[in-house]
Amino acid sequence: MSASPTTEFVGTTPAVDWQRRIRQLINIVKIELSRNFLTRRGLGMYFLAFAPVVIIGIHALESRGGRRCSIEQDTQILAGIVQLFYLRLGIFFGCLGTFTWLIRGEIVQKSLHYYFLAPLRRELLIVGKYVAGVITASLLFGLGVVLSFMFMYGHFGARGERFVFEGPGLSQLVSYLLITTLACMGYGALFLAFSLVFKNPIIPGAFIFGWEMISGVLPSFLQKLSITFYLKNLFPVEVPPQGLMALFTVVAEPVVPAVAVTGLLLLVIFVLTVAAYTARFMEISYSKE
Amino acid sequence: MSVNKRVYRPYAGRYTSEKTRFLILPRYAYSSLFDSRFLLAFFVACNIPTLLFLAAIYFSHNPLAQAMLQMKGTEVFLKIDNGFFEKFLRFQGLLCFILAAWVGPGLISADLSNDALPLYLARPFSRTEYVLGKFTVLGALLSLVTWIPGLLLFAVQADLADWTWFSKSYWIAGSLILGSFIWIALLSLMALAFSAWIKWKLSATALMLGVFFALAGFGEAVNEILRTKWGKIFNLPAAIQLVWLDLFQVPMNSRFRGGAGDLPSWAAWAILLSFTSFCLLMLNRKLKAREVVR
Repeated sequence: MSASPTTEFVGTTPAVDWQRRIRQLINIVKIELSRNFLTRRGLGMYFLAFAPVVIIGIHALESRGGRRCSIEQDTQILAGIVQLFYLRLGIFFGCLGTFTWLIRGEIVQKSLHYYFLAPLRRELLIVGKYVAGVITASLLFGLGVVLSFMFMYGHFGARGERFVFEGPGLSQLVSYLLITTLACMGYGALFLAFSLVFKNPIIPGAFIFGWEMISGVLPSFLQKLSITFYLKNLFPVEVPPQGLMALFTVVAEPVVPAVAVTGLLLLVIFVLTVAAYTARFMEISYSKE
Repeated sequence: MSVNKRVYRPYAGRYTSEKTRFLILPRYAYSSLFDSRFLLAFFVACNIPTLLFLAAIYFSHNPLAQAMLQMKGTEVFLKIDNGFFEKFLRFQGLLCFILAAWVGPGLISADLSNDALPLYLARPFSRTEYVLGKFTVLGALLSLVTWIPGLLLFAVQADLADWTWFSKSYWIAGSLILGSFIWIALLSLMALAFSAWIKWKLSATALMLGVFFALAGFGEAVNEILRTKWGKIFNLPAAIQLVWLDLFQVPMNSRFRGGAGDLPSWAAWAILLSFTSFCLLMLNRKLKAREVVR
C-alpha cells in the first residue's frame, strides 16, 4: 500500500530556503534605501551629518595654510567634533529619526500591513529594515566625517598631507569611521526595538539621550550600560571633559578595543533578536495610533 | 418624521461666554490627555523634585533634624537664596521640556490631518481663540510643574524664615513667575508651531529634541571651530539659562553660571524673543480655515 501524499510530510519540516530569504532581504533593503535617501523627511539628517563640514569648510577658507591654527589644535577640535557632536548628537538624533521611522512611520502612513501580508518572515523584515537603516546612517555620517577630516587637514597643505599619510592621520580617520559605523549600529538597534514597543519612541529616546549624556559621571558599572562607554575606548584622541561635568566625571577602567567592539556587536545582536521576537507577535491597529 | 419636514432650528442651549470660550479646548484635551498612564506617571514624577526641594527647606530650618541625620558640611546645599530657586527652576525647566515635547506635538496636528480646523473656525471661534485654547492646554500643565510649586516653596520658606528674609527676597517670587512664563511661552509656542507644520507627532517630537539639543551642539561646534562665542545664538537652553540667571540675580562669578555667560544678556533675550516670534509667524501662516490642495 502506498503512502498518501499528506502522510509524507507529517513530522518533517520543510528545508529552509536560504536563497529565497536572502533574495527577500536584499529586496527589502533596496526598497528601504530608496525611501531613506533624498526625502524631505531626511533633511534633518543631512543637516546633522554635514553641518560641521560647512563650519570646518569656513574655517579652512578663513585660515588657509594654517595661519591661525596648528595641526595639534585642529586634531583636538576634530576629536571633539566627532566625540561630542557626531557621536552624542548627530548620530544619536539621526538614528532616532531614521530607525524609529522604519516601523512607526509605516504605522503612521498606514502601510505596514502590506509587508505583513506578504509571504515574508517578520524577522527578515526587521533585519532588512535595520540593514537599510545602518547603510543609510553610516554612509551619511561616514561621509560627513570624511569631509570634515579632509577640510580640517586639507587647508594645511603639505604639512597636512604629511600628517595624514605619513603620520597618525589616516589611522585616526579609520578609527572615526569605525566608531561612526558602530554608533549607527548600536543606536539603530536600540531605536528600532523602541519603535516596536512604544507608541511614541521619541520619549524613551530622550531618556536614553539623558542617560548617555550623564554616563560619564555615573559609577563605572553603570557606565558600562551606555553605548558611548564602549565607543569612547576606540577614540584615537582623548577629549578631556570640561566645565562642571569635569568635576563629577568618574574615570572607568578602559576596555580593550576588541572587547569594546565585540561587546557592542553582542548588544546589537541581543536587541535585534528581542526586536524580531516582538515583531512576531505584533498586531496593527491603525485607529489606535 | 420625514427628512424634508425638518426645518432649521438654531441652537437653543446656553452659549458659553465669549471671554471663556477658548477654555473649551483644554477641557476636552485634558479628558483624553491623561488616558496615557505613562504620561500620568511622568506628570506625577515631575513633582518629586519639588518634594526634595521642600525637604531641603525644612532641613535648613531644623538644626535638630540636621544633627540627627549628621548633615555636616551641607550648608552650601541648604542655603535657601536666589540660587536655590534658580536651580529649582532649571531642574523643573528640563522636566517641562520633556512634558511639552510629549504632549505638545499632538495638539494641532490631529486637527489638521483630519481636516477638522474648518469645523472649529466655522463656529463663532476665532483663530486667536483656537491658538489660545491650545496654548492653555500646555500652559496650565507646565505651570503645575514650574511656578505653582515654586511659589509653594517660596511660601514655605517665607513662613519658616524670619521677616528679614522675606523683606530682602520677595522679588524672588516675581522672578520665579516671570522666568516660568517665558519658558512656558517658548515651549508651548514651539510645540504648537511644530505640531501645525509637521503632520506626524513622532517627527514633531523628534524635531523639538533636535532644535534644543542638536542645534545647541552645532552652536558649540561653531564656537570651537571658528574660535568665537557667538555660536551660542543657536543654543536655546543656554539663552534661557542666561535669562534665568539674570532674573534671579545670580552673581557673575558664580560657578553655576557655567558657559552661559559667554553671551551678553541682551543677546539671550533677543534670541528668545525672535524664536517666539518665529513660532507665532509659523502658526499664523499654517492655521487657516481653508486649504488650497493642488
